Amino acid sequence: MGDGLVAYFDGTSSRRRLVTLAFKDRLEVDEDQNTLAVWSYADIRRVDGPPGTLRLSCLTEPALARLEVRDAKLAAELVSCCAQLDDDIPGRHGVGAIVGWSIVAVASIIAVIIYGVPLAADRLTPLVPQSLELRLGQLAEAQLKMMFDGRICKETAGQAAFMKVAAAVKQAAGLRDVTIRAAVFSSPIANAFALPGGTIYLFEGMLAKAENADEIAGVLAHEIGHLKFRHGIRNLIYGGGTSFLIGLLFGDITGSGALIFASRVLVTASYSREAEQDADTFAIDTMHRLGRSPRPMGELIFRATGEERDNGLSMLSTHPLSEDRRARMSSEDRRPSKPPLLTQAEWTLLKAICK
Amino acid sequence: LPLSFSGDRGQLRRLVTRGAGLELFTAGFYRFWLATDIRRHLWSNTTVDGDAFEYTGRGKELLIGFLFALAILVPIYLGYFLVSVEVERYQKFASFPLLLSFYAFGQFAIYRARRYRLTRTIFRGVRFWMDGSAWSYASRATLWGLLMLLTLGLALPWREAALERYKLKHSYYGDVQGSFGGRGWDFFKHAWWLWLLAPFAVVIFPLAPFLYAEFKAVESRWWLSGIRFGSIRLESTLRRNALYGPYWKAVAWSAALFAAFALLFGQTFLAGIDGASHDPSLASGATANSIPSLIAAGLGYLTFILSLNVVVRVYLLRDVWARALASINVHGMELTASVSAKARLASALGEGFADGLDVAGF
Repeated sequence: MGDGLVAYFDGTSSRRRLVTLAFKDRLEVDEDQNTLAVWSYADIRRVDGPPGTLRLSCLTEPALARLEVRDAKLAAELVSCCAQLDDDIPGRHGVGAIVGWSIVAVASIIAVIIYGVPLAADRLTPLVPQSLELRLGQLAEAQLKMMFDGRICKETAGQAAFMKVAAAVKQAAGLRDVTIRAAVFSSPIANAFALPGGTIYLFEGMLAKAENADEIAGVLAHEIGHLKFRHGIRNLIYGGGTSFLIGLLFGDITGSGALIFASRVLVTASYSREAEQDADTFAIDTMHRLGRSPRPMGELIFRATGEERDNGLSMLSTHPLSEDRRARMSSEDRRPSKPPLLTQAEWTLLKAICK
Repeated sequence: LPLSFSGDRGQLRRLVTRGAGLELFTAGFYRFWLATDIRRHLWSNTTVDGDAFEYTGRGKELLIGFLFALAILVPIYLGYFLVSVEVERYQKFASFPLLLSFYAFGQFAIYRARRYRLTRTIFRGVRFWMDGSAWSYASRATLWGLLMLLTLGLALPWREAALERYKLKHSYYGDVQGSFGGRGWDFFKHAWWLWLLAPFAVVIFPLAPFLYAEFKAVESRWWLSGIRFGSIRLESTLRRNALYGPYWKAVAWSAALFAAFALLFGQTFLAGIDGASHDPSLASGATANSIPSLIAAGLGYLTFILSLNVVVRVYLLRDVWARALASINVHGMELTASVSAKARLASALGEGFADGLDVAGF
């Protein structure tokens, strides 16, 4: 019966014993005349072994006790005796469960991204202390100045005109608990930013494209809307939460950074479009309260970006399409009930603020 | 006595290919079971003196370790964010110590991961195990890391020697203590010219795989030859050019995969980029805006990454493993015929940290 082809390790020492197996009502492991161990067939389990070797353990013996059978005939006989031999082989019946649970986990992560994180961002935002928000604003400001090479425009007469518009908008916006500082920034890009903590930068490029003070007032009102709703902090919480969760999904597969980035852009863009809608609504109301029409603001935005439909991926853009925004603001058009915010002379000075 | 590896290449290739497919369907969660299956294959096919190793780790342990690590890492990341915001206010680069502490944490993870793998390694019915303090290791590794930074990498051989000495001094096979006999100077003697050539490899990039393969060969030979357990001593005769093959095959396969991916999906990606940059002259909105083509591109990208993983595991893990093992001679086996079992099991938390922090260690 293939004597000497069975090796036995008792699991307490590394000594290798050459043994013979006796098939009785239980399996006897014998060395010379001594019985070293008795294994019941029901407790015998297969463990990993090299090719051509049947390696066995026993549930009731020391966990690392091993029998190694190299003789194929003997191995076959043992296999036929042990009914539960392969019960503990990992991966035998587990793959279905792993796939199933993974799908559940993925579904729940997606649900949290869609419903949970926006809710958390809304609820947590009011809890963020003003001091931290100011601090983040300073960081963002430093970054902004690094990204867009430029300086703050301080030409005196222009500055006075700008402050006049800004003060009027602030007044109409009626934000009492936030100190708002607004300034023109000498960058040729047509844009404006509201930083957490209350700083608004209007880029010179935007000013250059503007044709009257109402257009600038609308843009400022829009940015104040972001500050009112504390969109900066909300975006931060939302962005941090979604990146973390999406990273959890794909993070392991080395090098899937691009995919994480892409899905994050997709998800956060839709969130950001909602925020922009809210800021637009706020801007429209503010312009009405100022007794001026919101329509010029829509015109300015459209002039700054041009036609956006059919231009690449609208799903990826962080703002609603400019033509849609223009249409919305045009529909809110009302005849001005109050005089213009600036005289023609003041407007000319404002346009020259960075000169 | 020679160490031998009898693993069938095709079997491992099928294993990792199937695993990569399952990773796709499980959003990556299958990685724990795949890693376990790969180790089971490598361990159980490694034989010395007629007996094979056995790996007793399980995927579930890794998953639980990962979840625990996550629960610990999330508050740390949050705290890190808040502290770095506060600290940068006072001085630029003040958050450098924080980055350093993250590095130390990564080293901690490497130590604990090694400990987990070692305690799941069985030979002749006796378990390997490890003691020592992962924090003590992490502080050593961090200090050596700083020194390496200051010397532009020249301190690497001595760093590895010191860290390996610590790790192996705290490793045991049953009641036999390990030790490391490699000296930094020996490693340096064989590798200094690679350090000199490294800047050229950045410019002339076809040199890089040669240099790296050579570095890995020299490093592995030195490391393997230094391993001792009691009177058992390993000796490796790995030749310096022994790893050219696997590394070049991996590079060639990666390039081919990238080319195939670029041909199939390049257009969608270009369209996506141009959509984001709002450049009307490049617009091809029709293809880019369709959701199916985006999803196809996303899946294509994942398939590309997962195929790369297959290439890495077959050539850089399995083939390198096989070649390194084939070079090993074991001396002094007969003097350690009877080793008594004595072991404590370690948890997979370390591997969880290593996974969460994206650090890998042998």
